[in-house]
Amino acid sequence: MLRAIDVPQTAAQALNSLARARDAAVLAGGTTVMPRVQAGDSGIGALVSLGRLKLDRIEAKGERITIGAATTLAAMAEHKALGFLGGAIESVGSPTLRNLATIGGNLFMKQPYGDLAVCLLALDAALTVVSKKGARKIPIAAFLAKGIGRDAIVTAIGFTRPAKGSWFYRKAMRRAQNSAAIVAIAAHLPQAKGRIDDARIALGGCGERPVRAAAAEQALQGARLDAASIAAAAALLAKDAEPFTDAYASAWYRARVLPVHFRRAVFGE
Amino acid sequence: MSSSVVTLNVNGESREFLCRPGTTLLDALRDSLSLTAAKKGCAQGSCGTCTVLVEGRAVFACLVPVETIGSRPVETLEGLAAGEALHPLQAAFIEGFATQCGFCTSGMILAAKALLRASPDPTRADVVRAISGNVCRCTGYEAIVDAILMAAARLRKTATRKRAAE
Amino acid sequence: MQDLEKIDTRFFSAEREAHLDVVGETVPRVDARSHVTGKTQFYEDMTLPGMLHLKMARSTRHHALIRKIDLKAAEKVPGFVRALTHKDVPNNWYTILRLIGVEPNDEPVLPEDRVLFAGEQIVAILADTAAAAGEAASKVKIEYKDLPAVFDVEEALKPGAPIIKPHGKNYFVYEGHHCRRIRFGDVEKGFASADHVIEHRYQSAPIEHAPTETTGCIVKPEGNGRFTIHSNTQACYFTLDNAALILGLPFNKLRVVGGTVGGGFGGKVDVIVEPIAILAAMLTGRPVKYAYSREEEMQVSSPRAAERITIKDGVMKDGRIVARKVTLYVDAGAYSRHSPYGTTKAAAHMPGPYSIPNVWVDAHCVYTNRTPSSAMRGFGVTIGDFALESQMDRIARFLKMDPVEFRMLNAYRDGDTKAHRKKAEGCALVEVMQKAAEMTGRTLPERFRKMSSLSREGI
Repeated sequence: MLRAIDVPQTAAQALNSLARARDAAVLAGGTTVMPRVQAGDSGIGALVSLGRLKLDRIEAKGERITIGAATTLAAMAEHKALGFLGGAIESVGSPTLRNLATIGGNLFMKQPYGDLAVCLLALDAALTVVSKKGARKIPIAAFLAKGIGRDAIVTAIGFTRPAKGSWFYRKAMRRAQNSAAIVAIAAHLPQAKGRIDDARIALGGCGERPVRAAAAEQALQGARLDAASIAAAAALLAKDAEPFTDAYASAWYRARVLPVHFRRAVFGE
Repeated sequence: MSSSVVTLNVNGESREFLCRPGTTLLDALRDSLSLTAAKKGCAQGSCGTCTVLVEGRAVFACLVPVETIGSRPVETLEGLAAGEALHPLQAAFIEGFATQCGFCTSGMILAAKALLRASPDPTRADVVRAISGNVCRCTGYEAIVDAILMAAARLRKTATRKRAAE
Repeated sequence: MQDLEKIDTRFFSAEREAHLDVVGETVPRVDARSHVTGKTQFYEDMTLPGMLHLKMARSTRHHALIRKIDLKAAEKVPGFVRALTHKDVPNNWYTILRLIGVEPNDEPVLPEDRVLFAGEQIVAILADTAAAAGEAASKVKIEYKDLPAVFDVEEALKPGAPIIKPHGKNYFVYEGHHCRRIRFGDVEKGFASADHVIEHRYQSAPIEHAPTETTGCIVKPEGNGRFTIHSNTQACYFTLDNAALILGLPFNKLRVVGGTVGGGFGGKVDVIVEPIAILAAMLTGRPVKYAYSREEEMQVSSPRAAERITIKDGVMKDGRIVARKVTLYVDAGAYSRHSPYGTTKAAAHMPGPYSIPNVWVDAHCVYTNRTPSSAMRGFGVTIGDFALESQMDRIARFLKMDPVEFRMLNAYRDGDTKAHRKKAEGCALVEVMQKAAEMTGRTLPERFRKMSSLSREGI
């Protein structure tokens, strides 16, 4: 049962609250924490809200974007600089959910939820993390692998906006709207002189957390962005994907459709 | 585990009540303020029957602790009709048979209200998207979408007439 | 597609005498206004002072003996008031149709020594708040000894299968028989005389109603020894009668206020939450609410039964079905509830709305360690229809016959004897298909346009 809910005004206060109560949980949009609290057996005794920490700003300095961790998905969808993420944001839940859900919260979700985390992995985002020791930046891959411990808070997410024509996203769902991923693909395929250079492909629904399709990325290095090279890369996705079975789809099905949806992400069909 | 006094602006009125830490907006509305139109269908944000408006935006009241609302205005279904006169959304739901058991109706109407405030001339796809967080097990949704579009048309007509009269 | 007339008077013109003034008219719902203004009173739209919240500690095993129940940690949760077990229940049997003689008693209100499905309610926890009740329920420690479980209807009926029911059989016994049986004519002779014999198997999964309003009730003790039960049951009298029997109360001590159901669909016709909530109100003197969480509604409340149906048909070249043999298994799950009745309906519904001279049906009501199933729209009949009509389409395709014409050829006519020996009357399948053909722009051959439910013309 909840003993307390804290709505601090500074990050230092928030960290103190987390340190004081070992069964405290961070509250951003509440879309994952509140269902757990209401299920009755969460073990969460206190909530520390990020609502007044002013972590909801979006800054665009040239191509460098910084988003406060408590920024709602709805606010992101309305920001001019984030148009390229529009498809991904729309695919998360419903407009009502997106009025509450935050980009920071999305980072912590287990697949097949956490579509923005898949995008951020493909964007090679850096997370600003604050703890009693101060602020540091950690690459998203490190965060996804190890987390940040319970005495730290993610306060911002930064990435470079992809060049036009280099960003691809697709989420396969069982329903047209408001459904989790069968598989999700976020691909950053920048080109220099007509050749792909430094591809980053992130997959959702292919493991507990988003994964980078390293084998497929390597195969695309120096290749043209055409049907043949995409098909070759698609065939290599399985090397880095470990899809699971849940109520949405079986592991077999996810593995089977993954290369198809990758191709559709790039070419539309 | 002590209760605290919380003040909320609900349907234009300042309402004060006592509640335990982490009380959700839904429980506060239903148990402390006798505003029971918003329903508890899942307590997970997956059914939409608790949808209310906070600062004009649709949210799942079952996921919002009251301590995080502050002075932002809250709107529920009870605040929609002006006395005995029904809001066009309410009238359209009646005429269009867009309500059967009635349990999803409050959430549907408020999600629609938020949509029409932001987009007075929505497409059918816009309406479907706006209510994509609201589950209905009775109607099959089509009557609800039709009713919302009908209400939107009537509201636009009223607005046009009003502008013409001014 | 042409416009639908409100009432098409071209059919059965000789019989038409009804003076209809509401059928065919658009009449607003009586409750629509209160729905759209938020004034409709669902059972949970009330708060009673001093109300207790009831949450259940549930089985985590499919089939197990209950070795030990430890409430120590649960009792320490602030707000905990009381726990109820089977010892507190006056007559610990829930048998929904006992009042019309359907036996045996096979489902305890709260289990005495064993659980038969994962999610079965074991200990009722009462507390001052829903949060306290939920936390205390999660802290009830139960020790189980697992027993072999069975999850498939045919596995449950195999010799050597673990027997999971106290009466010694994994199936409901119908007047001494292992299933509902229909024997009409001689199907083996029918198959021998047929041009083709076509057999297929059909399978459905359990289907959850998923109403937006979860099952629940609030019970209020009145000052005079009576109890008012505010329930979202679809069946107020089921609730009243069964609760009275379980609690050993005269019927007039219970008043059920209901009829406002946030989605029923057949999923709110069992009497699971009310008896224990009334008992809690009796023992504490306080109002009690027992409401399913969304997870309980989806996992624990009864779904439509899964069914496995094999249909073997003897068919002539000209499209007449001369023999139909149906073997049907209803997965009742762990307890009977309405399934024995549903299985009877399934049997009687065979062979579908068709006149077939030789019919053989075995309809089994089988117990497995799955969530007990119960009623849902078209209870007992809907899945049978899925199998029957899929079969009809497959036969038509096999015979290269039009599926509409194939059905009209075999449809019941008035006066035909059905397989369970009732006379068919008020038949209209032929006319409905003629109308549907017209509405979908299909022209039936003259022979079929002339057919009627009132005669055998064209057959």
